[in-house]
Parts: sequence; structure tokens; C-alpha cells
Amino acid sequence: MKFKDYYETLGVARNATEADIKSAYRKLARKYHPDVNKEKDAEERFKEVGEAYAVLKDTEKRAAYDQMGSNWKSGQDFTPPPNWNEGFEYSDGGFGGGAYEGDQSEFFESLFGRGKHRQGARGSHARQDQGMHFKGQDHHAKILIDLADAYNGAKRTIALHMPTLDASGHVTTQERKLDVSIPKGIKAGQNLRLSGQGGPGMGEGGAGDLYLEIDFHPNPIYRVDGKDVYLDLPLAPWEAALGSIAKVPTPAGNTLELTIPANTVAGRKMRLKGKGIPSNEPGDLYVVTVIVTPPADTDTQKEAYQAFEKAFEFNPRTHLKG
Amino acid sequence: MIQTKITWIEGAIVENEIHMSIVELSQATSTSEELIMVWVSEGVLSPTGSSPQDWRFGGDSLHRTKTAMRLSKDLEINTPGLALALQLLDQISDLRAQLIRLGNNSNTEG
Repeated sequence: MKFKDYYETLGVARNATEADIKSAYRKLARKYHPDVNKEKDAEERFKEVGEAYAVLKDTEKRAAYDQMGSNWKSGQDFTPPPNWNEGFEYSDGGFGGGAYEGDQSEFFESLFGRGKHRQGARGSHARQDQGMHFKGQDHHAKILIDLADAYNGAKRTIALHMPTLDASGHVTTQERKLDVSIPKGIKAGQNLRLSGQGGPGMGEGGAGDLYLEIDFHPNPIYRVDGKDVYLDLPLAPWEAALGSIAKVPTPAGNTLELTIPANTVAGRKMRLKGKGIPSNEPGDLYVVTVIVTPPADTDTQKEAYQAFEKAFEFNPRTHLKG
Repeated sequence: MIQTKITWIEGAIVENEIHMSIVELSQATSTSEELIMVWVSEGVLSPTGSSPQDWRFGGDSLHRTKTAMRLSKDLEINTPGLALALQLLDQISDLRAQLIRLGNNSNTEG
């Protein structure tokens, strides 16, 4: 296990005041909030900052953390000294009641326990005989699918990891496999509601629902904007100038033959109506032309470019007056 | 050999097919109905229907409510601030969509 320097995480000095810590936390929380920051590591950073703040904003936890000394460096191998927190009194009934729910690091848990312990009592079966009826909790999960699945529909077996409490009250991760039919036409950011696949209900209350938020695997060929799809189509200069027929693969797995008109310029957007993600009003597939000039390496190739130069009186920089 | 038949679970696309009531939205996002009412009055959410019992939340209401709930809880922003944050996030997402349409050909060199 690695030591975590919570002061470093928040970028404050060890003698920082509560106000300093709060404002540093607020700033970083806004910066790394996963709804605001779409960088890959934002969520991870947000959790780290939240964990650091959960310890440092709490006078008791901070004091306990501080007495381990200031010689520890982030990332150093660390084992909590035996009885390290002896003599500390916690007003919230012991460690683990941190404001920050779940997802604590191993380091945090070894010092302060797991925050979910006491929450585990919620929704227990003990109250069932009293005639209580509650619908089970709705659950949420994110899944990644291929763009082709949105075009064609698909059947996918997905594995979801659910934190659950075992008999002794420890949090363990349970894997649940679900065979899900992905409907044709679903788009990134949309949610698929699976009725009755959420948490179990109490009494006669039915089970909750499971919401699967859909996102697409990154695709090296296509860019997706809502139901419209974009594809860059590279053309050789002569194909663009003379016109040609280019084979264009669609995300559905077909190949279309696209007529490139003569004198096509780079950046021209050709719309293939209705070839975007299907729906009642299907999206469009846009083919954007890119002109690729081959390098002139051999003598023949150099001569060909020189022939170009002779054939055209062409100055692409006239507007620069150059 | 035993062949097991897999039953594929069919779901409904929330944004296209489902118009949630305030009770469903509250349950799905772990947000109180009172708070949802405040957000509607502030224009964060725009259901159809005239009274809370008739409200139907469509489109991206689920996503929006989840985001609103996370932002208000994690960053402790008040409702007008939340409304502004969501509006700015919408603008950013529009700009991102424009970048996607333009592709990555705008790399500058040198």
C-alpha cells in the first residue's frame, strides 16, 4: 500500500487553516468534477481530492493523520503502525462516517475504515414483517458499445460490478451478468431502462429499475455527433481533380460507392442522407474530403510534379500578396 | 449437450420512448420531489404538463437531473448557480459537437 499525502493532493501546506483547506478543495473539486471536466483522469482526481478533504476538514481525522509525522512521501510503501490511532476519540461514532461516500483508496480504508459500513443497514429485510412496501432502488451503470451496434442492434452480455455487503458486513464486489438486447438507433448519452433489474423491493414493492447509460467505444474511422456520423475520405489530388468513384465503408458494415465530382476541393462535405444512426428520422453520414499529396521521392515522381508546375499557372497564395 | 436458451432483456430508450412522472424521476435520480419542483421553477428542468402531478419529463431530463444532483451535492451550488452551470455545460457540449464535426484537421504546425 502506498502512502497518500493529502496536503499535497490539495496543494496546501501542512499548517494550512481550515479556510485554506476548504477553498483549495472547492477550487479543485470544481476543476475535476467529472460532469465538468471530460479529461480521462478527472474522475480519479476528483475522488482523490474528495478523499483528502474528507480527512483534512475533519479536526479529529486530521489530527490522527498528522501524528503519523511529516516524513512520509506520496507513493511510499506504507503500513499503518499498530494502534496508530490509539487515544483518538471520534465524535461521529468511529471512523468510516466520512462525508465522502465510497470509492476510498486502500490507504484511506486502512486508516479510517470503510465509509459504507453503516449505510449497509439501509433497506435491510428486518422491517419486512411490519407491512412495509417499498420499491427497490434504481441502479445506474455505464456501458460501452460499438457504433455498429447502434446501426444494426445487437445482443450483448454485459458484466456489472456491484458493491454488496456480505454476511459479516464487509463490502465485496459482486459480478452480475446480464444478457441485454441493444436496440437499433440508440445514441451516445442515452439511457436504456431495464425494468425490474435494479435493487430488490421490500414487501410487495417491486424491484427497482436498472438504467444503462450508453457510450460508444472510440472509433478510429468515424466521428459521431448525436445521430450524425462523420468520416474523413482521403483522396489523391488527381482523384479530386478529375473525379472518381470511391468506396466508402459505412458503420453498418456495408460499402457504398460514392461519386467524387471533378474539381472537388479539400474539406468538401458530402451528405449521405439517412445513412447516419437509424431512427424514425435517421441521421446522416457526412463524408469529408481530405486531399493527400504523395511525397516526390523518385525521379519519375519529381518529373510528374514538375509537369504539374508547368501545366498550371497556379499561385495558392495570391490573397497573401506573396 | 444441454442447450440453454438465453432470454435477452429488452430495454426502453429513456430519451425517445419514456416520459417520466416526477415520482419516477425522483426515484431514478435519488432526488427529492421537492428539489425537482424547485429546479423546474428555476428552469433547470422543463417538463410538459401544468401541475406537478401532470408533469412529464422527456428527452434528456434524466441525464440533466443526474448531473444537477451531482453538481449540487458535490460542489454545494445553489439553484441559480446550478442553472447557470448547466447552461454553460450545454454550451460547452455544443462547442464539442462542433469540434467533432470539424474533425482533427485543424492541427497547427511549427
